[in-house]
Amino acid sequence: MSMLIARRLLQLPLVLGLILTITFALLWIIPGNPMENESRRPPAEVAEAMRRQYQLDRPGAFLAQYAARASGVAWVVGAHPVPFDLGPSMRHPDWSVNEIIAAGLPVSATIGLGAIMIALLIGSVAGVIGGLRPGSWSDGATQALALIGISVPSFVTGSLLLVLLAAKLRLVPVGGWGTPAHALLPMLTLSLPFAAYIARLLRFGLADQMQTHHVRTAMAKGLSRRDAALKHALKNAFLPVLSYLGPATAIAMTGSFVVEKVFAVPGLGRHFVDGVLGKDITLVMGVVLVYAALLVLLNLLVDILYAWIDPRIEIAARPQ
Amino acid sequence: MRWTAWIVGLLVLLLLLSWGWNAGARRADVRVASADVFTLDPQRMTYMQDLRVARALFEGLCWSDPNTGAVVEGVAKSWSISPDGRCYTFHLRPDARWSNGDALTAQDFREAWRRLLLPDLAADYSELLFPIAGARAFFAWRSAQLESYAKRGSHSEQAAQELWRETVARFDSTVGIEAPDPHTLVVRLEQPIPYWMDICGFQSLSPVHRPTLERFSRIDPDTAMVRTEPGWTKPGVLVCNGAMRLADWKYKRSMLLEPNPMYRGAHPAQARSVEIVPIEDASTAVLAYESGSIDWVSDLTAEFRADLVSAGRNDVHVLPAFGTDFWSFNCRPTMPDGRPNPFADARVRRAFARAVDKQALVQSVTRLHEPIATTLVPPGSIAGYESPVGLTFDLAAARAELAAAGWKDRNSDGLVENAQGEQFPTVEMLFMTGNPRVQAIASALVAMWRDGLGVQFDVRKKDGKFAKEDLHAGNFMIARGGWYGDYLDPTTFLDLSRTGNGNNDRGFSDPRFDALLADAERAADPAQRMRLLTDAERLIMEEQMPILPLCRYVTLYMYDPDRLRGIVRTPRLDQRLQRLHTIGGNAEDAQP
Repeated sequence: MSMLIARRLLQLPLVLGLILTITFALLWIIPGNPMENESRRPPAEVAEAMRRQYQLDRPGAFLAQYAARASGVAWVVGAHPVPFDLGPSMRHPDWSVNEIIAAGLPVSATIGLGAIMIALLIGSVAGVIGGLRPGSWSDGATQALALIGISVPSFVTGSLLLVLLAAKLRLVPVGGWGTPAHALLPMLTLSLPFAAYIARLLRFGLADQMQTHHVRTAMAKGLSRRDAALKHALKNAFLPVLSYLGPATAIAMTGSFVVEKVFAVPGLGRHFVDGVLGKDITLVMGVVLVYAALLVLLNLLVDILYAWIDPRIEIAARPQ
Repeated sequence: MRWTAWIVGLLVLLLLLSWGWNAGARRADVRVASADVFTLDPQRMTYMQDLRVARALFEGLCWSDPNTGAVVEGVAKSWSISPDGRCYTFHLRPDARWSNGDALTAQDFREAWRRLLLPDLAADYSELLFPIAGARAFFAWRSAQLESYAKRGSHSEQAAQELWRETVARFDSTVGIEAPDPHTLVVRLEQPIPYWMDICGFQSLSPVHRPTLERFSRIDPDTAMVRTEPGWTKPGVLVCNGAMRLADWKYKRSMLLEPNPMYRGAHPAQARSVEIVPIEDASTAVLAYESGSIDWVSDLTAEFRADLVSAGRNDVHVLPAFGTDFWSFNCRPTMPDGRPNPFADARVRRAFARAVDKQALVQSVTRLHEPIATTLVPPGSIAGYESPVGLTFDLAAARAELAAAGWKDRNSDGLVENAQGEQFPTVEMLFMTGNPRVQAIASALVAMWRDGLGVQFDVRKKDGKFAKEDLHAGNFMIARGGWYGDYLDPTTFLDLSRTGNGNNDRGFSDPRFDALLADAERAADPAQRMRLLTDAERLIMEEQMPILPLCRYVTLYMYDPDRLRGIVRTPRLDQRLQRLHTIGGNAEDAQP
C-alpha cells in the first residue's frame, strides 16, 4: 500500500509537468492575445509592451519562469517571494490566478461534493431497486429514468428546475451564491447524470452478483432475497461504482461550466471557460494544474479505498 | 456496510468544510445585474460595465451632465481657457479628499495621466491624451526606449531604475501637464480641441491615490516597465474619490458599493448600498429580476427580448445608445492571397449599400425596431453637428450602380457577370459566432443581396479570435462591425475611416477624407469645423461607403420605473450608480 502511494506521489510532478507543457503549447497555437477585446484596439506599441511585459514574446522564458514559480522552486531558492505563485490573470489585472482559484474552487467543490452525495443516494436506491429484480417493471422504470438522466443535457434540466422551483414556486433564489439555498438547485442539476450512471453500474453489478455461488448459497440457507443482496452482494457490486467515483468526484468538484452559467454560480468551471475564450493563458494553466492534481489525488484515494475493500487488488499492484 | 458509512461520512465532512468557505450574503438596497467587471483600475478600463462603476468610485475634473450634455464641475470647481483655446487652467476644490481622508491634489491627476500615457500599462485609452502638447511624442519616446532596453544584452535593476528616472524627467520637461500648486492643474494642448472638456470628464482620466499605487508598483528589471501588481483595487485597499466606495468585491460573484463619507455632499436620495451581480446567462438574469432579487437588468440580451418588448411591458426599456451597428466593406485593392477584391470599387460598395432594406431588418429580423441609420454618427446626438443624408434603400439604383461597375446579368441566369462573362466573385462574408442577432442579420443580408443583386455568398462564421485575425489581415469582403462613441464629437466615429487608424479594419484610405479631417482640426471657428466634419461624413456615407450603417445600437434595460429611480435615458447612457435608489409606497419618496 505505502509503495503504491509513494509511487503515485512521485509520479505527480511528472504528470503535472507534462500536462503543463501540453496545455501551454495548445494555448500558444490559438490565435489572438489576451489584450484584445471585442471592438477597440490599443495602439500597436501598447500591445507590444503588453506582450513583452508578460513575456509572451519569449515562450521558452515564460514557461521556465512559470514552472519555477508555480512549483515553488523559485520560492525555495529565494528568487520569488511567494510559493506556488500562478501569476496574475492576464485578462483580469486586479486578480492573481491564485486568488481566482481560491475563490472559485470552494464554490465548485461544494456543488460538486453535494452533487456526488445526492447522486450516490439517488443512484444507489435506483440501482438496488433495479438490481434486485432484473426484468421487473420497477427495473424498467428506474432504467428508463436513468437513461433520461444521462441523455438530457444539464442546461435543459437546470433551466427547467430554475423556472419551476425558483421562478414559479419561489422555493429557492434564482441564481447567485451565498446561502445553502443557492447551492441546492445547482447540486441537484449536476447530480442527475452522475446518479443515472451510478444507478446503471449498480444495477448490472448487483444483478450479476445475485447469480454468484455465495449469494445463491446464502439464499438457499434461508436468507431473504433482500437480505442476501444487502449483506452479501452489494459490497462487491459496489466496486465498479467506487472506481467511477474517483474521476466523477474530480469532474464534479472542478466545476461544470453549464451548471455554473445557468445558475450564475461563480465557480471554477466558468472561470476556466472564460479564460480559454479570452486567451487568459495564466488563468487557464493554473486551473488545468489544479484540475490535474485533483484528478491524480482522487484516483489515488480511490485506489486506496479499493485495496481496503478488496485486498487482492493490492497484491496485484505490487511489482512482481 | 462499515465502509459505506465511512465514505458518506468523509463526503459529508468535505462538504461541510467547503461550505465553511462561503459566508452568507446580505441584501443591498439596489441590486444590479451586469456583465462582469474586469478591472477597477481607471486607467486600464475599456468595458462599459467597468466605466459605470468608475463613475461611482472616482470623480474626474468635471462631468458631462447626463441629461443636458453640459460640462459641470467635478473635482475642479472652476477652470479658465486661454484665448487661443490651447491652455486650460483647472482650479481644484481645496477641500477635495480621498476616501481615506488624504487631501486630493493636482499632482494626483498629473501622475494618473502620466500613467495613462505610459505604454507600460497597455491602457486602451492612451490616445485620449494625445491632444496634450508633447504627449504623443512622449508616448513614442517611451515605447522606443522600452524596445531598445528589451534588445539590450544585460538587464539590471539599476538600469531599469535609471530609465525610469529619465522617463519621469522627460515627462516633466516635455508634456504639457503642470501642477504649479496643489490646487491648480495647467494643461496645454497641441491645438485647440472643442471637445477637450468632454475628454476631461472621461473615467480613464480619473485621479489615482499615489501612496496606494506606489505600494503595489515596481520597475521590472527584465523589461524596465512599471508593473502594477494585482491588489490595489481590492476592498479595504482601494482608495477612491467618488461618491461611493468599494465595500466588497468577490471575483465574478458580487461587488458591493456604499456611500463614501469623505465625498462632498452626497445625493439626497442615494441608496445606502448598491450591489453588482454578474449574471452571465441572459435568461437567468430575467428570472432573477422576475423573482425580485434583481432591481435592474442593465443589459438585457436574452434571446426572447424582442418578445418582451412587443409584449408592451412598462419595465422593459429600449434606449438608443451612442453607437452604430454596421457592416464593413473591405476596401483594399486585393485579397491577402492576391485575388482582386471586387469591393475595392466604390460603385460596388454603393450598390450593396442601396440594396439593403434596413426597415425590414429592424421590423422582422431584430424585431427591436431600432432607429435605422444611413450615417455613422448618430443624428441629433451632438449639438451643432448636422448629419448628411446618406444612401437610402433603392434596389433599382443599386442594380444601376452595379451595372455601371460592369456587373450585370448577361446570360439571364439570375447572377451578374462582367464583360468577359465571369461571374461576380463569391462574396466572402465574415462574422463572429456566438451572437444570434448577428447571425440573423447576416442571413437576412445574404438573402437581400443574393435576390436583389444576383451574387453568391460564402458565409464564414468564426470564433472570436479567428475572426479578429481575418479582420486585421483584410481576409474578408464584407464583415460585421459596429462602434460606440467615446466622447461627444463626430470624430469619435469619423476617425475610424482615417488612413492607418488602428481600428480601420476596412483598409479604407482616401486623401480627400483625411484632408477634410485635418482641415477640421485646424479650423478656428467651431461652426466651420462642424461643417467640414459633415462634408467628411458625406464623403464616406454617400460616395465612398467603406461602412454600411444599419441602425443605431439600442440598449435594453429591465427595471420597474415605479420602484427604481435614477436611471438616465439619454444617448450616452452614462449611468451613475450613486444616483440609483428604490422607492417605497409613500408619496414623499415618489418625487424623483
